[in-house]
Amino acid sequence: MNTSRHNIALISAVPIVLAIALGTGLTWPHTATSLPAAKEVVKGSVPKWVKVSVDLPASQVSFPPGSGSVIANAYCLICHSAGMVLRQPPLTEDEWTAEINKMRNSFGAPLPADQVEALARYLRTINGQSTKGPSAVDGQGS
Amino acid sequence: MPRSNLSRSPLSRRRFLAGVSGVGLTGLLGASAWNAMAATLVEFPFVNGRRDLVTNFPQKGAMLLQRTRPPLLETPFEVFDHGVFTPNDRFYVRWHLANIPTEVDPATFRLNIRGHVGQPIQLTLNELVRDFKPFEIAAVNQCSGNSRGFFSPRVPGGEWANGAMGNALWTGVRLKDVLDRAGVKAGALQVRFNGLDTGVVPQTPDFMKSLDIDHARDGEVMIAYAMNGALLPLLNGFPLRLVVPGWYATYWVKMLNDIEVLDKPDDNFWTTKAYLIPETPFANIVPGQKDVKMVPINRMLPRSFFTNVQDGAVLKVGQTTIVRGIAFGGDTGLAKVLFSADSGDSWQEARLGSDHGKYSFRQWEVSLRLASPGSRKLMIKAVNSAGSAQPDHANWNGAGFMRNMIESVSVQAA
Repeated sequence: MNTSRHNIALISAVPIVLAIALGTGLTWPHTATSLPAAKEVVKGSVPKWVKVSVDLPASQVSFPPGSGSVIANAYCLICHSAGMVLRQPPLTEDEWTAEINKMRNSFGAPLPADQVEALARYLRTINGQSTKGPSAVDGQGS
Repeated sequence: MPRSNLSRSPLSRRRFLAGVSGVGLTGLLGASAWNAMAATLVEFPFVNGRRDLVTNFPQKGAMLLQRTRPPLLETPFEVFDHGVFTPNDRFYVRWHLANIPTEVDPATFRLNIRGHVGQPIQLTLNELVRDFKPFEIAAVNQCSGNSRGFFSPRVPGGEWANGAMGNALWTGVRLKDVLDRAGVKAGALQVRFNGLDTGVVPQTPDFMKSLDIDHARDGEVMIAYAMNGALLPLLNGFPLRLVVPGWYATYWVKMLNDIEVLDKPDDNFWTTKAYLIPETPFANIVPGQKDVKMVPINRMLPRSFFTNVQDGAVLKVGQTTIVRGIAFGGDTGLAKVLFSADSGDSWQEARLGSDHGKYSFRQWEVSLRLASPGSRKLMIKAVNSAGSAQPDHANWNGAGFMRNMIESVSVQAA
């Protein structure tokens, strides 16, 4: 059923609308109001507890080469993978500085103060902008 | 209304297509080529919005990767068209701290209730299940920063599109009943919740959140041991998760193992310094505005979404098609969901699907027939039972919280 659903989604919109009008049975496998697995719950029943053991994937991504990438790879990756940094909107150097200082002051990142400027410049280089406007960084830890 | 009125027909291409290739390219892509693209990435309609679709996280199906460690995984939006309950293996994931236990043994796990109580207690999972009356509630769990990527101007943080939310049927016990077992002493002010996760460096504040004592004892806040009839995936908080119906997900502490009743206000970092919003309607301020009181984020606002039509869809002139989506009221139930096919000049009430309770997603649908060719802006607006309606304009705050403006899609009638 999954296969047919995907095929439906892949064709362009006009034929889909036609198909609906012709009543060719293009229904999806799930009904909107069904409770996927919830009907199996018996109130008051004891869940069958099982030990859970998983492996979490490791990130293979490091910061791109450039002046300052050594700092980023050495300190940022202690607590989090690079992906979230690389997926930020383009920030000004001041905004990157605020983010770095949040990591240092709120979360205890062991980045020395004398490397903040170089790191902010690097982050602005790889994912930044130079235009000035009201800063969108409010310094919260979230 | 009868269930059969909510039909199940995909109207348009998936959101992948609108973003990755644009409208004009649709007809040029063969199915197999498109399938390969769709299987690997999504391009959200904001700068730096490319996301890989990954399947390598335990107990999870295909999810949109924002960060590997600690995991931030977004639910692909097409999932919300499949039903009002979000499958456990597609439910979004958001962790703050990277020391997440990868192994949890129910035989040795204990839930502690301590602090300003008559008798501190420690419960095994079986005791929690057997000794307390079971409680079930359908409720939306939504990240405070859901849709942050759409903020303008952009703000740093988890750059979600609209998929940092999910709806589940939560099964467990009332927090009130567990607190009563320990015996809350007079003078209790707040209850603080902590899970098994910790920071990588010792200086990182442990992730904890607090609720006022009356809220904690309201008979709705609960400790869940199952979602949608199954044990929680580890990344969604196995074995126990706090459920705070109607409130943003920051309070829904995962891997919950410690409950502390406080006789003074919680002063921990995550309560006092993080997850703060301006105390203004819709948490809305002007960029750069500083003279505003900040308060902890709290109740959710109403939202509604299209799930079977996206920007760029082409509708056949004169044909009636079903347009549908999901909606929720936030901290209370939906009163109505309003649909517009003329950029908001006129609105009609959408039909609503089954009601699973005031905190749940609810499906809406309309029968749409466009009589003449041209472009149209379709809009959808939820109004909750307290009279709060989704606003016309986007809110803005520096943390990117609480977006709930009216959603719209641009379509072509041809």
